[in-house]
Amino acid sequence: MKQAKISFLVTILLLSSIVVSCIPGQGQPATGWAGTAFYDGVIYTGTLDGRVVAINATSEEVQWSRPVGTERSSGLSCGQSSVSSAIYTTPIVDGDLVYIGTYSGQVYALTVDRGTERWIHPRTGSIGAIVGSPVIANETIYISSSDGTVYALDMTYGDEKWESQRMADKLWTSPAVVADTLYVSTFDGHIYALSAETGGLLDWSFELEAGFASSPVIREGTIYVGSFDNNLYAIEIGASEPAWKSPGRKWFWAAPVVHEGVVYAGCLDGKLYVLDAETGDKMGEYDAGSPIVCSPVMMDGLLIVADESGTVHVFDLNAEPEDSAMPCMYVPPIRIGAAVKSSFCAHEGLVYIRGEDNRMYVVDVDKGRISWEFSLATEE
Amino acid sequence: MLAPLELWYLIILEPILNVLVALSHILVGQFGLAIIALTVIVRLVSWPLTKRQLSSTKALQDMQPKMQELQKKYGKNKQKLQQEMMKLYKEAGVNPLGCLWPMLIQFPIWIALYQSIMRALATTPENLLALHGHLYSWEVVRQAIPLSSQFLWLNLGEPDPYFILAIIVGGTMWVQQKMTQAPSADPRQQSTTRMMTMMMPLMFGMLTLMFPSGLALFWAASNVIGIATQYFFTGGWGYLKFRSPFQSTPVQGR
Repeated sequence: MKQAKISFLVTILLLSSIVVSCIPGQGQPATGWAGTAFYDGVIYTGTLDGRVVAINATSEEVQWSRPVGTERSSGLSCGQSSVSSAIYTTPIVDGDLVYIGTYSGQVYALTVDRGTERWIHPRTGSIGAIVGSPVIANETIYISSSDGTVYALDMTYGDEKWESQRMADKLWTSPAVVADTLYVSTFDGHIYALSAETGGLLDWSFELEAGFASSPVIREGTIYVGSFDNNLYAIEIGASEPAWKSPGRKWFWAAPVVHEGVVYAGCLDGKLYVLDAETGDKMGEYDAGSPIVCSPVMMDGLLIVADESGTVHVFDLNAEPEDSAMPCMYVPPIRIGAAVKSSFCAHEGLVYIRGEDNRMYVVDVDKGRISWEFSLATEE
Repeated sequence: MLAPLELWYLIILEPILNVLVALSHILVGQFGLAIIALTVIVRLVSWPLTKRQLSSTKALQDMQPKMQELQKKYGKNKQKLQQEMMKLYKEAGVNPLGCLWPMLIQFPIWIALYQSIMRALATTPENLLALHGHLYSWEVVRQAIPLSSQFLWLNLGEPDPYFILAIIVGGTMWVQQKMTQAPSADPRQQSTTRMMTMMMPLMFGMLTLMFPSGLALFWAASNVIGIATQYFFTGGWGYLKFRSPFQSTPVQGR
């Protein structure tokens, strides 16, 4: 009798925990949205199952594939179980190494030819989850982490050069480096300036009541950054008030592109805003029809925008617009048929996009269609 | 035509989520305080239902002496006992399931609260990105995002590593149950009651160890409010017995 009661108790306990965890609508697990890099004829990206993949762009075959990160299961919970090896960062190639940060809080340096591990930081354990892409400057790799800290690592051996003081609850944006200064935007509405050499906080910082959603972009002494208060801000370095702000209807999640005095900012309201970089005056806007999650990309005078629904919009910045300040469309919008949240890259007329369906799409902008696509789902 | 899930978001989830985010901004960015404040608000809004539930519970408690008499009298004849009990309920104008219906009606609100807490905390980048689709364009909401998950010693997006919250949740739930569960003359029923009184706090204590502490904070706040409401409505500690170390006989609260 007593055994039956205990069994009943345990069964009820297990069932109720499963039922509570499976209530729909509580959120999505961390699966990652790794960006794409193109270097010397090879495409580098991260897959949904936590691998870094190098694809030969000529032969359209996998050159190598390597799992990264530490996978953890979160047990009973079916709603929040997450793949800890998820990759949100964009690989960076420098010399013979490709660098990538993982959500499990590790930075990898892999050889470009075989994907062999050159170093991993930290060698044991992990730092906070890495969401913002690493940045390379001054022969150093800079990484912001979910533990609210920026790390500077030696590129050759992965040794830590310095670790900044904790600046926020978590840092999910990438730092911007100008000369010997690092600029970091935080979710609690700060922009901090750090010495690139020591990691020490410099005198100037900027504070806003709302948090910053995007990574900062710096051109000619001005920081352009998106905010959770639905505004895009231009902040002159050293100033205490923004030079201007321009409103959207949702967050400016993606970092803007600044080109020849014009800011191109994608917004989660589905619009691409074209603004005068100096005054913030709106020169035009384009309705993509779906949230713009990743930053636009420039290629040979073309501005390429991918929206979340998986449509690629290409604008010709050199062509004279006929009746508005909005640049001309280069080709009609190209549908790739998969959601896009990942950063993408473009090279010699081809755009390389990793879709949320775990496929690599190569879009030919001159022909206005997908040139070829590749499944990243399994090791082949 | 909206799908049921979209309707659920529009009518229940999004209002609760936005109020929660706005409260967090008003309460100096403390999401933990916002959870407690929203629990109080939901309790106040659902007070008519709670009051009905408490009235039914109290009426059932008041009937206990008579029920025990019936159990003594007809204990061996189950059918007769059932008939007499139903008769007693009818005479007193009490529906034995009366305390269950208000609880069931409140259930969707608790689910929405749970979902709102999980969504507002946005522990993964996907969750944070998805949040923009559910937020109103209120200034106070725009200023509040993203929320800080730090509250006291807790990271509200993670389970409490020190077991403190699990003890509080389990303990308060045990007290709340003890206050309402009347002793039964039937030993089998008494045993079932005792098991239930132990099982529920134990279960929620275990769940607290598995789920984000933001949710456990909501359970703890809800239990404490429940205890306070019950104390003031029924005028005491109900069936919860306090045994003083200086007394040989137990002192019953009511």
